[in-house]
Amino acid sequence: MSFKRFDNEDIVISADSISSPAWTGNEVRLQNFFTSSAQIDGPTGKYFYDVYNGAADAAASQIQFSIAYGNKDGSGSSALNASVASNSPSSIIYKQYRSLINGSEDIELSFDGTDVTHIYSIAIQRARYKEKLLPGSLTLQLGDLFLTDNSKEVTTQTFTDAGRVFQIISGSAGTKTDSPKDTAAKGNSKSHGSYGLFLPDTGLIILNGKALDAPVSDGGVALASATASVAPAVENMALIYDKLEAPTNGNFTVRSEETVSSNYVFVRARNSEFNYSTNPSNITGSGELRHSSMIDSPQSYITAVGLYNDNNDLLAVSKLSRPLLKDFTKEALVRIKLDY
Amino acid sequence: MGYLNNAVVTVDAILTKKGRELLARGDGSFKITQFALSDDEIDYTLYNTTHPSGSSFYGEAIEAMPILEAFPDENQIMKYKLATLPRGTSKLPLLEAGYSAIRIKQGASLAITPQTLNYLGATSTFEAAGYTATIADVRVVSNFSGVGVNTEEAERLNAVTTAGTNVSKTVIGTSINLTATTVNTLFGSRTQLQTTLTLVGRDSGARITIPVTIIKVNN
Repeated sequence: MSFKRFDNEDIVISADSISSPAWTGNEVRLQNFFTSSAQIDGPTGKYFYDVYNGAADAAASQIQFSIAYGNKDGSGSSALNASVASNSPSSIIYKQYRSLINGSEDIELSFDGTDVTHIYSIAIQRARYKEKLLPGSLTLQLGDLFLTDNSKEVTTQTFTDAGRVFQIISGSAGTKTDSPKDTAAKGNSKSHGSYGLFLPDTGLIILNGKALDAPVSDGGVALASATASVAPAVENMALIYDKLEAPTNGNFTVRSEETVSSNYVFVRARNSEFNYSTNPSNITGSGELRHSSMIDSPQSYITAVGLYNDNNDLLAVSKLSRPLLKDFTKEALVRIKLDY
Repeated sequence: MGYLNNAVVTVDAILTKKGRELLARGDGSFKITQFALSDDEIDYTLYNTTHPSGSSFYGEAIEAMPILEAFPDENQIMKYKLATLPRGTSKLPLLEAGYSAIRIKQGASLAITPQTLNYLGATSTFEAAGYTATIADVRVVSNFSGVGVNTEEAERLNAVTTAGTNVSKTVIGTSINLTATTVNTLFGSRTQLQTTLTLVGRDSGARITIPVTIIKVNN
């Protein structure tokens, strides 16, 4: 009497892709960058720098991404143990990403065909991208160099052990620069391959150390990565951080992408259904209708729709934005979207 | 809790606490198979049958009412369901628990067998699917159980134990058994404890809320 079963065609499942700015507060463009001296001076500071959207000790600040430096040979940082010179934070980082992306210790990280043994990684904080990053939305400004991904340039997708991969090229918001430095005009650096790898499914940006170390005339930013096997005066992570901060208004823009599965439920109330209300304000103590005019012309006002299972458990509920009049001359069709 | 924009008819669907629980169980019990409509928040005394503009305007005040957003407590929403009844119906289903208020002493037991009045053509009947009973503060009873409905859900609800906090407990049955607590510390300096018992017909949707008073007898 109060419950009506759904027909098969009343429940439809749909999956929609939704994109939104990755940064805290739905900021489209991250312009200011902050680090935490406590984190940098702590045990993790030798491996990566956490970058915040505000002063690290401010309540509203959150980690946006982390910068790490990797070097196959362990250069650019001091060894964990003097007797094992090759085991340093930089070699650990390089091998971590090599394993993650290539799934093999025999294949080096390659940037559009050029193997490179020292890299920088920018790992977007998991909370910033709900499911994955949106290819074609990236703009990363390092000094005067604007970088983006080549997802709009390629016609086939390439996959690694870390999901889809796109080359990072000179340009912005997915559009290649008008004056690329490479002879093939792909948007790469002049002689060291692409500027990096964009891995949207794992929220990673791997930057090509060689391409960034190159002089400006060759398309680099003259990063001058420290490659000695001792701890440098300035950690390499700080070099990238400084390039991010160099412009008056920095520009790190990327959007997150999420696939939301929705159940669309169509609630159909026929003209003869749901016309009487059990609301206590509608009936007297003995169950008689308060208004005699409602005996032959009952009117009810729908404010909520409850979705139940076979045990009559209320699983989900939706409210209308205003009461919907229902009587014997009206039929109601309400579409409910249920996301999980 | 905010008001919804009432410029257009839209819906805002959320999972209830029960829905989340069943979804997390992953045993197939989260399967939407049926729906009900309700008119929570509507006060039919606003329906003005003496409106000077005529019958088209009787519901003017109700239709202009802003509606609150949905809230996830399944016990606090979908309270007053809309019913499908033959045209010309003059009486709606009512629950009769045999008590307008319950006053029992510490340690005393009580069995409540609700009936539904004006339902399915009968003056009085027992609903086949039973009744849902919710005690608002489970601490005031040492036993609260439903009997007469042997579904998995009913048995699971009976087996749920909650201790130490002021939370509700819901059971299912054709008859509801409760025993007042013997714990003195709950009373503090008071001589009685108050809570409410809400009964809902699982078929009819009819609902009744009864005040419950536990009287202290132990010193």
